[in-house]
Amino acid sequence: MPRDTLADLADEALVVLYAHGDPDAARLLAGRLLPRVLGYAGRMLADRAEAEDVAQEAMLRLWKVAPEWRQGEAKVSTWIYRVVANLCTDRLRARRRRRAEALDDVAEPADGAASVVAGMIEADRMAALDQALAALPERQREAVVLRHIEGFSNPEIAEILQIGVEAVESLTARGKRALAALLSGQRAALGYEEAE
Amino acid sequence: MMDDLDDLLAGASRALVQPSAALMARVLADAADLQARPVGVAAVVPRAGWLAGLAALFGGAGSLVGVGSAAVVGLFFGFVQPDGLGAVSDMWAVGSVDQVDLMPQLDVLWAEE
Repeated sequence: MPRDTLADLADEALVVLYAHGDPDAARLLAGRLLPRVLGYAGRMLADRAEAEDVAQEAMLRLWKVAPEWRQGEAKVSTWIYRVVANLCTDRLRARRRRRAEALDDVAEPADGAASVVAGMIEADRMAALDQALAALPERQREAVVLRHIEGFSNPEIAEILQIGVEAVESLTARGKRALAALLSGQRAALGYEEAE
Repeated sequence: MMDDLDDLLAGASRALVQPSAALMARVLADAADLQARPVGVAAVVPRAGWLAGLAALFGGAGSLVGVGSAAVVGLFFGFVQPDGLGAVSDMWAVGSVDQVDLMPQLDVLWAEE
């Protein structure tokens, strides 16, 4: 199939074409999905190398599942974000376990906001946002990123995180309030004028 | 602060993270590797029939032919009883052959009733 025609197709159709051996389908899917899943994994893990591993693993699972993909049953975007969310959760758990083993007797910082403030001294606005996001509880971070950065609807987020829509609304609202609290007082550093 | 936060989040939403060329190459290599494998096509191996199973039980079709031929020849000798067969039997037998009735005859059983 001509590449121009392929570019107009939905992700689900491209997955089916990939499974049938179309050589350009994988390139188009990777071009669409990889930047998104890499960005999401990066915000969840705050580690570029780990985010790349997760993004590659998620794409690999898509290639594997392609022969059994049934159009109309699921959206590729929500499916792959769910895979990424699960992979990130596994890695964050492993990270917490390693940290607990290594620093068994060392107390955790009481307040993540302190590191956020310190980071903002030299960070740009996006880095400051990422630091503030990293200080949120994992579920709140997932919900806020999916809703306000990745642009998913609440029902889609519910499908990705495998929770109810009401839980998504609650997580998003609490996450956003916590984010505002973490960044409050830093408007000048974020490049906004202080209110008169 | 909420307006500023919305603005910040919108900026993050617009900023697309570009994967490195190396990562893209790894992902496409995975895709090509999995796409190259034939999907759902397995070699069809015909199921062996009962005759083949029987031949295998006797050590192959050749052995089955040998056993079958011997059985047919034995049956032939049993019906035809060639003249020289008694001489051959005598030659194989060493000494005299005694006959012992291990099972009582049917007419003996009837006579006892």
